[in-house]
Amino acid sequence: MDDRLKETLSAMMDDEADELSVRRLLSHARQDEVRSQWQRWQQVRDLMHQGNLADDRVDVSAGVREALDGGFHKAPGPVASTRRGRERNWHWPAVAMVTLALVVGFGAGAGWESADTSASVANAGLPSEKAEGIASEAVGEPVQEVALQGLDEEQWEQVSRYLLEHAQHNSVGAGRGSVGYARLVSASGAGY
Amino acid sequence: MVAHYGNPGAPSMTADTERHKEENSESQTDLQLVKKVRHGDRPAFDLLVVKYQSRVASIISRYVYDSQEVMDLTQETFVKAYRAIDRFRGDSAFYTWLYRIAVNTAKNFLESRGRRPQGSADAVDAENYDDGSKLRDNASPEKLLQRDQLQEALREAIGNLPEELRSAFLLREYDGLSYEDIAGILECPIGTVRSRIFRARDAVDRHLGPLLNDSRT
Repeated sequence: MDDRLKETLSAMMDDEADELSVRRLLSHARQDEVRSQWQRWQQVRDLMHQGNLADDRVDVSAGVREALDGGFHKAPGPVASTRRGRERNWHWPAVAMVTLALVVGFGAGAGWESADTSASVANAGLPSEKAEGIASEAVGEPVQEVALQGLDEEQWEQVSRYLLEHAQHNSVGAGRGSVGYARLVSASGAGY
Repeated sequence: MVAHYGNPGAPSMTADTERHKEENSESQTDLQLVKKVRHGDRPAFDLLVVKYQSRVASIISRYVYDSQEVMDLTQETFVKAYRAIDRFRGDSAFYTWLYRIAVNTAKNFLESRGRRPQGSADAVDAENYDDGSKLRDNASPEKLLQRDQLQEALREAIGNLPEELRSAFLLREYDGLSYEDIAGILECPIGTVRSRIFRARDAVDRHLGPLLNDSRT
């Protein structure tokens, strides 16, 4: 380390070095010499200002260098980008799962019921031959024999009105009653 | 303080002016180094570590009393600072920013051990904290003797400097004057001031060199 560079380092101690000189100094091949000189001058300054060395046992510079060399990264920038990249890696499956759950949930809510499902729900508690009839209704047959047999005309009108209102309420309020409403309209259209 | 080393001719400034100059000068050099660090310049970061490691250790020793833990946390503070250097915007001095990292590192450490942080420190303390006082308290008699020798050697070294070197050096170190101001007082070019201060430092360093090296072993 020649005197010119040492003079630059001295000026750096006093904040009087220009940027070009600092760059030249930091690109010097023997950075250990630069660091050592800088450290001694810092010690002299401590000694002058405090009547003492700040603390001669404190030297973590080698440990810091080792931690940065052996550890995570070589420069500050890539660490953040690596971490962000890792975060993105698990974001995609999570986003896909949430999307799938929303689609399925919305679909179920909007009445994506299969024929089998609607049939099995409607068949609960009915005799097998009637259940077969309801199953066939689900694919287009009339439903008059299902559960409303034996009602007189007044009862039928009451039940029919009640069911229609219920279905309408469901379709408007909960967003999921379109099938029931359609089924009722269909039943009404069939002469009930 | 100038008079302490026998420089009666040197003018003196108020403490406020001195501190103001000191803060400004330090932050400017730090910003230059930080800028280099941001571009991946590790030697620049080394210089910041060397410059501030004692002060950071002192801050941490206000919270943590085990010397090995202090060293570990000091190292961790600098590693964190390096990793977060892009987030340093320069709104405050680099040392103030570093100080906050050190305090948080110490507090987090204590909390992770189920201990409540005992000490307290705020950013205002960062500029005026007495470096190394906690750790110095534990100095052995040998170390104390060594420090006495260092101080004596320093007095000798400064006393032996040629007058023009000593004046420039002390105006800078004790009065915190800029090279320009010193040039005005000593009636010489700025380049001459710069050269004189360097030569003074070099002479003092050569005089103290063996003692400084011994103190680290």
